[in-house]
Amino acid sequence: MLNLKHLASHAYRQYELVTCINMLEPWERKLINGFFLIMLSLVIFSSFMYLPDYLQTLMQFITPPTWHSSPENSAYVAQKMARS
Amino acid sequence: MGNFDGDSGTVFEESYATTNGSGKVANGNGAVNFSPPEKEELLSQRKFSAPAYTEIRTRRCHAKPAVDDKKPSLINYHPEKKSIPNGHASSLRDQESKPNQAEGKLSPELEHFQKTSFEEVPLHTACLTYLGFYLLMILGYINQLLFVPKVATEKGREGYVALYDAFESFYSRYVYRRIKDCWNRPICSVPGDELTLKDRVTDDYGWSFKFTGTETRCLNLGSYNYLGFAAATGRCADDSEESARKSGLAYCSSRSELGDNEQLQELEAQTARYFGVEDAIVFGMGFATNALNLPSLLGPNSLVISDEKNHASIILGLRLSGATTRVFKHNNMRDLERVLRQGVCYGNPKKGGQPWDKVMILVEGIFSMEGSIVRLPEVIALKKKYKAYLYLDEAHSVGAMGSRGRGVTDYFNVDPKEVDILMGTFTKSFGSAGGYLAGSKKLIDFLRTNSHAHCYAASISPPIAQQILTSMKTIMGEDGSEIGRQKIHQLARNTRYFRRRLAQLGVITYGHEDSPVVPMLVYLFSKIGAVVRTLTTRHIAAVGAGFPATPIMEGRIRFCLSAAHTKEQLDFALEAIDEIADDLGLKYSRKPRDPNPVVY
Repeated sequence: MLNLKHLASHAYRQYELVTCINMLEPWERKLINGFFLIMLSLVIFSSFMYLPDYLQTLMQFITPPTWHSSPENSAYVAQKMARS
Repeated sequence: MGNFDGDSGTVFEESYATTNGSGKVANGNGAVNFSPPEKEELLSQRKFSAPAYTEIRTRRCHAKPAVDDKKPSLINYHPEKKSIPNGHASSLRDQESKPNQAEGKLSPELEHFQKTSFEEVPLHTACLTYLGFYLLMILGYINQLLFVPKVATEKGREGYVALYDAFESFYSRYVYRRIKDCWNRPICSVPGDELTLKDRVTDDYGWSFKFTGTETRCLNLGSYNYLGFAAATGRCADDSEESARKSGLAYCSSRSELGDNEQLQELEAQTARYFGVEDAIVFGMGFATNALNLPSLLGPNSLVISDEKNHASIILGLRLSGATTRVFKHNNMRDLERVLRQGVCYGNPKKGGQPWDKVMILVEGIFSMEGSIVRLPEVIALKKKYKAYLYLDEAHSVGAMGSRGRGVTDYFNVDPKEVDILMGTFTKSFGSAGGYLAGSKKLIDFLRTNSHAHCYAASISPPIAQQILTSMKTIMGEDGSEIGRQKIHQLARNTRYFRRRLAQLGVITYGHEDSPVVPMLVYLFSKIGAVVRTLTTRHIAAVGAGFPATPIMEGRIRFCLSAAHTKEQLDFALEAIDEIADDLGLKYSRKPRDPNPVVY
């Protein structure tokens, strides 16, 4: 438990040092930390919401359709590409 | 930023030296009602919880590698606890230590590359350094936009041109100010092997400082006190005191008028003898020795080839002289030859390619920010090949280098007469003030008639000159003692030990193995402040250097070793540095580490 706490404080200290946060005034600290938090949450949110769909589309696009696949299926892919 | 005091008049340190922080305490030991341990605890709490010290508390490292030779329990030294008299260096334990001397077994080039290290920065650190710097700049601009700076402003000045460079004042207000407490720290003792820092706090993030009335005893790793002659007691101090009683404090006149006296002539003769040259001339200020004598030696039709890391005083002197200046890469002989050949071949382009009056190579002995030593034998070979003059600034190397302390010429076993102009300061190794130029009789006589610093500047004050004389005699062994030789050996030993131990810890240090200036690279701007503050709480005083003094990328902490330091003191410092480096992530080095314990 103590070790975990140490590890977390060490990680936060490293983050503070590399971003120069330890030199800043409190309001600037909040601003920068908030900015990073918002960016991080946006990235996480988008990667959960949109990334699976994108990946699926991408996979369909780059894996060549097998020669005996039905024609309406490939047409569907093209359509989806066009929409997205 | 060691030399950066460019407040540009923005912050006038309003509350400097006004009150002591809590208003009651006068002399540091004010809390008289407490028993000693309580008092101590309270003092250190008050001291280190003050805003100037809101630093990163380092934890003790428990997981030490097994190969480590040191046992922390053995180091029973602490600056606060023991009171060592601030005197001369203790006598050397055994005499067979190696002096600071080039071995000369390899060719000068090979030896240079073997002993000098400039390790590359890791790529991610470089990126983070720049990103952090951009962030600070952006925040600075936002700050400037939103708030009125808390500085004194002039009134009724509409329509005047701004006195100060806009970027410079912006930089010192919004970037430098954040870690300003790490620089220009007031001290109140002799800067010997230990010093006493006057504690100060800031309530408004570096705009102004207040004294708390407390003091911190620190191990001094920041002074250029290479041979340990800066001491409040001992022979030097006694002689200086006697000189002040006998001849007063100043002559209030220049050398060519009423300021000349026997003592200064003795000093000049002694200096010439010390370097083994014909004659020497001394000045009252080291910076002015460069800045004011270069213009009298050089003219507009001269070519100067200057190292890129040369000191500001040299650069100022070159600008004043109006000579054409070409810069070569730091300590790079191939580049020096390229620049030299181009300059000599094409002549003065402003005069349609006519030959130059003079071609002069300008180098320093030890480069104070890099800790590297000039490659003197190769420079002299090039100078002879192209018939140029050589000006060698030995500000840091005189006293500190060579088996007899005569500077880099002694270190490389070069005849000092091969160097045309030897320049140096008395400020560092001699523990005094002033500078000298040494060389041929002709050169010095020319300077006596033409130098501005000789004609117009006041002569050296008698006690200061006496300090130089006594310390110089001690180094030369003319006082009949072994102290000078012991000091030189002690410094060489300290240097080698400290540098090897630092390399073993895995931090990146720059420069030559034998140079007593040891820059430890921390790269990030925020880490300079963090390291300096944390070292202060560990009772170690060291100097940080950041952007205006070094490239943006290369923030560093500079340790200056001294003959006054003992092994215990260095071990104490190294243990603290080890923990701090673990905690703040300074162990950048990717070189293989020597697993064997370093012998002192």
